[in-house]
Amino acid sequence: MAPEPDQLSSLSNPLTTIEQLSTSSSQLDRVPADLESSLRFAGAQLTQAAGILLRLPQEIIAQAIVILYRFYVGSEGGSFRINAVKDISAASLYMTAKISFLPQSTRSILNVYAYLLSPTSPLRQPLETSTKPDPESYYLSEGSYQTARVTLLQTESILLRSVSFITQVTIPHHLALTYLQTLGALPPTSTPKSTALAARTIAHLNTALLSPQLLYLTHQPPALAIAAVYLAAREVGVKLTSAEWWEVFDVDREELGFLVVALGSCEGWIRDEKTRWRDGGCPLASEELEVEIERRERESA
Amino acid sequence: MASQVKSRWADDEEDTALEAQRRREKELKKQAKADRQRKVQEEENLRKQNAATATDDSINGHDGVNGESERPSKRRRLSPEQDTATIEPVPVKLLRFPASEWGPCRHVDNFEKLNHIEEGSYGWVSRAKETATGEIVALKKLKMDNANDGFPVTGLREIQTLMASKHENIVALREVVMGDKLDDVFLVMDFLEHDLKTLQEDMLDGFSPSEIKTLLLQLTSAVEYLHSNWILHRDLKTSNLLMNNRGQMKVADFGMARYYGDPPPKLTQLVVTLWYRAPELLLGTEKYGAEIDLWSVGCILGELLTKQPLLQGKNEVDQLSKIFELCGIPTEAAWPGFKRLPNARSLRFPNTSQTTGAVIRAKFPLLTAAGTSLLTSLLSLNPAQRPTAKEALTHPYFREDPKPKSTAMFPTFPSKAGQEKRRRIASPSAPKRGDAPRIAGEAADFSDIFANRDDEEVGGGFALKLI
Repeated sequence: MAPEPDQLSSLSNPLTTIEQLSTSSSQLDRVPADLESSLRFAGAQLTQAAGILLRLPQEIIAQAIVILYRFYVGSEGGSFRINAVKDISAASLYMTAKISFLPQSTRSILNVYAYLLSPTSPLRQPLETSTKPDPESYYLSEGSYQTARVTLLQTESILLRSVSFITQVTIPHHLALTYLQTLGALPPTSTPKSTALAARTIAHLNTALLSPQLLYLTHQPPALAIAAVYLAAREVGVKLTSAEWWEVFDVDREELGFLVVALGSCEGWIRDEKTRWRDGGCPLASEELEVEIERRERESA
Repeated sequence: MASQVKSRWADDEEDTALEAQRRREKELKKQAKADRQRKVQEEENLRKQNAATATDDSINGHDGVNGESERPSKRRRLSPEQDTATIEPVPVKLLRFPASEWGPCRHVDNFEKLNHIEEGSYGWVSRAKETATGEIVALKKLKMDNANDGFPVTGLREIQTLMASKHENIVALREVVMGDKLDDVFLVMDFLEHDLKTLQEDMLDGFSPSEIKTLLLQLTSAVEYLHSNWILHRDLKTSNLLMNNRGQMKVADFGMARYYGDPPPKLTQLVVTLWYRAPELLLGTEKYGAEIDLWSVGCILGELLTKQPLLQGKNEVDQLSKIFELCGIPTEAAWPGFKRLPNARSLRFPNTSQTTGAVIRAKFPLLTAAGTSLLTSLLSLNPAQRPTAKEALTHPYFREDPKPKSTAMFPTFPSKAGQEKRRRIASPSAPKRGDAPRIAGEAADFSDIFANRDDEEVGGGFALKLI
């Protein structure tokens, strides 16, 4: 029995509309577009780091990042000036973990965020310094925990309303591995080359999460998986079949080409972002963002 | 005078800026809406055109108006006028994935509440009318009981699983709307006139065998769909099965549903309304799977046949004893490993071993052999022996006479979900979240559950008496 199109939800995601991509609530609130991209990137990076510290699987982390992106998209979405990216990141990770097999307590989530947001955390320090962060700077007292918890739970409700309770996110990672197997690129006993190929494919998919082009909101998982496989095979030097194999997986040449270029451009963009915010990091909290916007407006005036 | 008023409003710069922004946003929204409308219209036109061209295709050629997904058909390309089509490379039909959208939730004010229907395990349900379209829907307000952990995980799972379930026998979740407060959340679902429990209570003679088959087929296919999508319902019971006046049944109330995995993750045993709860849950297993839903299906089949709940235990222990009375005492051979379940250690059983089939057969004297075998297998104590939903669908019971009745032939009933106050027969509700009660050693003595068997009334039909 052929699957009905509407039964393919386990392979597909809701995508943004063109209107949603053309304006955003943050831009209406006078956040410059480049700062918006930076904030989005910083939010994704923060979520990824928190997920790693909480020992969550990449599937949950990736879902949390995608939900964070969904929140800030479109004129009816959230604005960075109203809902700070650090709050949405924490709420998204907390909520995604809650409905997964590995729920996390509010205390664990908030401890990790207190650590990552402290002034000496590895995320906020210049790249070269490797001083150990001072434990006192990220200690979360009972009082501040209670306040932070109220914010977390409120933000969770706001987040859920803005994405109209669509918590389902299909990630392409498992698809990519299935495609590699189907293409005969992953032999039963792994070789150094096949391991490298699989690792590189997954790495590309994780990088795509950080792309300023919102690839996870504009392309379906199979297309992302195919692009990652294609690029990884070229880089590792594995020859896949010479035919137009991506069509077998329902991805056309144009989309593949676009995604391959987008994936390839991620590295340079991320490097620029890192040097751009090398002193002190991106303004993750509301007050920091206000200072930054004020500074820019003063400069341009 | 007029200018004065004007200046009073226009003077404030902030106000004008705000106004401008509001107008801009409104404009954007309007534009988006218009675009969407236009897109729908275009699609409609395209479809109409395609349909039209398809019908008079054989009569005359046409200037192919093709949607991106509609490639020219082979027959059309043979016609001489289709020069452009022949230049095209071999058309490859790629699967396009459905892409839904998202936006903020709408406000509940878009709906007008008509009357209250029912309080489910995780929310209040009322009948409502969408003001814009006049459509009647069911509006379910989510309960926010355990506000300690933020948005209740049960509500999130209910929305998540309902959104993923698109099946004709599962109630459709149209959208989620919100109220004024942050924790006012409503699910907008299809409205169905009846639920199976009240419907059956109000009927004089219950459903006919062919109707029962149709109902069970619909239920089982919904359960099969859920399980093949890795969703456990965990609260199947007749009051959660809704019916419309066209003989269609839909599974509702996903307040306990969740995704599961293989191997099964550790899950709470405090699920499923007591009367429909599988023995392994009562015995305290922490790893269970799709089998618990099939036990409930078995209970529902029994209930449809006898017009009353099959196993009406007063508490967990009583429920177990009712189960063992009907299905026999579990043995290590029939259910390997059951003695190691947490609550099984404190149980004491009679020494004589009882068989299961005979009791079920005696209780349902009017059921055919195939029907009895399906019911017996659904009510297997050992979860591994229960059929999967897929297997149950192919059971001979559904193929033998009387054949399942076509849904179009179902009788209609006066709707009780309307204004009338209805008679309520007490039945337990789904368990609340929290710690599962342990079965204490003293209370669980089953050694005499068959002691008074001779005094019991014998089921209908023919019985031999020894003199």
